[in-house]
Amino acid sequence: MEARFPGYRVLPYLLVFPSVAVIIVFLVVPFIQAAIQSFFQTSPFGTTSSFVGVRQYKLLFSDPSYARSLLTSWYFALIVIIGGLSLSLFIAVLVTRRVRGTAFYQIAFIWTYALSPAVAGVIWALLFDPAVGIGTYVFSKLTGIAINYTIQGTTAILVLAAAAIWNMLGYNVCFYIAGLQNVPRELEEAARVDGAGPWRTFWVITFPMLSPTTAFLVFVNTIYAFFQVFGLIDIMTKGGPGGATEILVYKLYRDAFIRVRYNYASAQSVVLFLIVAATAIFQLWVSTRRAVYLR
Amino acid sequence: MKRALTFLLLILVGFSWAYLGYAKTRIEFWHAMSGSRLKVLEKIVNDFNSLHPDIEVVPVFTGTYEETLTKFIAAYRAGTAPHIVQVYEVGTQTMIDSGAIIPVYQIPEVLGETWDWGQYILPILLYYSVDGNLWSFPFNSSTSMLYYNKDHFRAAGLDPNKPPTTWDEVEEYGKKLIEAGIVKNVIAFGWPDWQFEQQLALHNHLYADNDNGRTGLATRVMWPDEFSIKVFETWTRLAQEGILIYAGVEYDPNAAFTSGAISMLLQSTSSLDGILKTAKFEVGTSFLPRFAGEPIGNSVIGGASLWVRKGLSYDELRAVWEFFKYLGNTDVTIYWHKNTGYFPATNAAVKQLMDEGWFAKSPNHLTAFLQILIGRRDTAASLGVRLGPFVAIRDYIRSAMEKAFSGALSPAEALAEAAAKANAALEEYRLALGK
Repeated sequence: MEARFPGYRVLPYLLVFPSVAVIIVFLVVPFIQAAIQSFFQTSPFGTTSSFVGVRQYKLLFSDPSYARSLLTSWYFALIVIIGGLSLSLFIAVLVTRRVRGTAFYQIAFIWTYALSPAVAGVIWALLFDPAVGIGTYVFSKLTGIAINYTIQGTTAILVLAAAAIWNMLGYNVCFYIAGLQNVPRELEEAARVDGAGPWRTFWVITFPMLSPTTAFLVFVNTIYAFFQVFGLIDIMTKGGPGGATEILVYKLYRDAFIRVRYNYASAQSVVLFLIVAATAIFQLWVSTRRAVYLR
Repeated sequence: MKRALTFLLLILVGFSWAYLGYAKTRIEFWHAMSGSRLKVLEKIVNDFNSLHPDIEVVPVFTGTYEETLTKFIAAYRAGTAPHIVQVYEVGTQTMIDSGAIIPVYQIPEVLGETWDWGQYILPILLYYSVDGNLWSFPFNSSTSMLYYNKDHFRAAGLDPNKPPTTWDEVEEYGKKLIEAGIVKNVIAFGWPDWQFEQQLALHNHLYADNDNGRTGLATRVMWPDEFSIKVFETWTRLAQEGILIYAGVEYDPNAAFTSGAISMLLQSTSSLDGILKTAKFEVGTSFLPRFAGEPIGNSVIGGASLWVRKGLSYDELRAVWEFFKYLGNTDVTIYWHKNTGYFPATNAAVKQLMDEGWFAKSPNHLTAFLQILIGRRDTAASLGVRLGPFVAIRDYIRSAMEKAFSGALSPAEALAEAAAKANAALEEYRLALGK
């Protein structure tokens, strides 16, 4: 690590230049443009523009639908992360048991990740179509409750979260299977010799040994729940009903490209950047400090 | 080295020269025609291209109307906008204020031609005109009407030739259809936000001030007032009784109707051919249900028209105009009408359709057309709404319907919340334009 290209002063910079250039062109410059735009009011076609100071930010922080969107995002992310990871871990533990056809089960649970969020959205939208969906039908037969995710906010969030968890299941299971295969058998056997049951062995040995995997998956799933579910939401609910599934990134999109309020959306993108940066730093800090790494 | 480079450069210049010399005038045309409409449109464009070897119209499907408009705006800002864009009626004011288009009435003037705009159907002409001048080319105009399942009506002991005329009758028939065990939900709305506009116009109530935004930029919406709250309360009651089901936006509820899950549908006449082809029962159509005792207005024009980007070269403008004239041909207009359900846009086409007995053969193709022709068109309220941030306001109205129908807010509260957002959007629009 310490030996840094002795004798070459320019080469290292030359080598990192392409990726830095890409970041500047595609991330830094647009971000600065958005930050500047957030202080202006521009007509839809961009033909007239005037400086309005912090008007957009004032609007943003006094907009109850923004506060709601923020809450919805966290609420949704929590369901997807906690629900998704516990289910994936459970499935991963089951499919790594020595049973007939393990390979089949492992593949069967991984393939959902091969579908893009948009395709998953189409499937789940059909499944829970209020009038003709088979999921709606089965659910109402089982519970007697008529669900319509196009008007019931809570139903919409739950159906969306179920679709998101289902979509990410393959990815999470995949990593947990890999993680489980790396847990040293000796440790589990030692625990069993000491008289620990399977439940205790799992929580005391296996789960802590999986913490690097869990930390990584929490990070990836947060990004998924905050950003990548965009396709799912766009296909299934378009942020509705009544804004109930309008998470931050979707609200930003609708404000910018549907409601044509570019400046307002620019202000949102600046705020969203700060929120996500803070979350990412916090998670990386926690995961590097708390996770158990075998060296 | 230098000589090789010069040589290469010369070849390149030569090629591009040759290319330019023989190039067709290429016209990019962004549209939002999906489903069965797409094939019909593509056939029309292909026929035009084979008739005009020097012009190539390239149709590009750019998503829903909403997406097409917002993509056009983004493309215009980036300098990559197409020559022609199909914009739905909602985007009319935005396009007028955009400074990005040339009004179609100026195109024949620029080309040194005269054109009689009187040949187009009056309600369409009025909708897309500013101060008597047509700003966009009438292409696919429609309005909303009632579709109903005659087989369901018979099974429930209702007269299949007596569809509901009022909302009270919708409720009464709905209860009968549910009690007879034929359906669980009875009616759904295509374009729910648009149906709200239809009801206001149908009863001659203004949607926004400044004559629905037709005499000046609107500053506020007129709802919630007594009538609009009545509309919302009636629909909410129907929704809570299970008669009305909110089955998504745009063309989403069509599947529920054609599969027989519901018995009635308020939808654009442009869905007619799609519905007739997929439904395995006898489809009836009629005028929109009304509120008894309220004043008479008219249903309003929906669908879309074609806008031309400004800054086109003379050749491009001529090509666009040739294409528009072709679309207005009687045969093309008739083909378009018969295969989609959109209005026949010219007087000549209507005459020929009548002469050949088309309306007698397919009376469902006449329903929406008759509805708009018999209504009044001398008031701003019956002519339709023009708002700058209309796309956003429709979004707010949809939200309000979803909140009222689910019981999250009372109908009046939901409307008031949407009105506050709509008024803020109108203010922001005027601020951005500096007016």
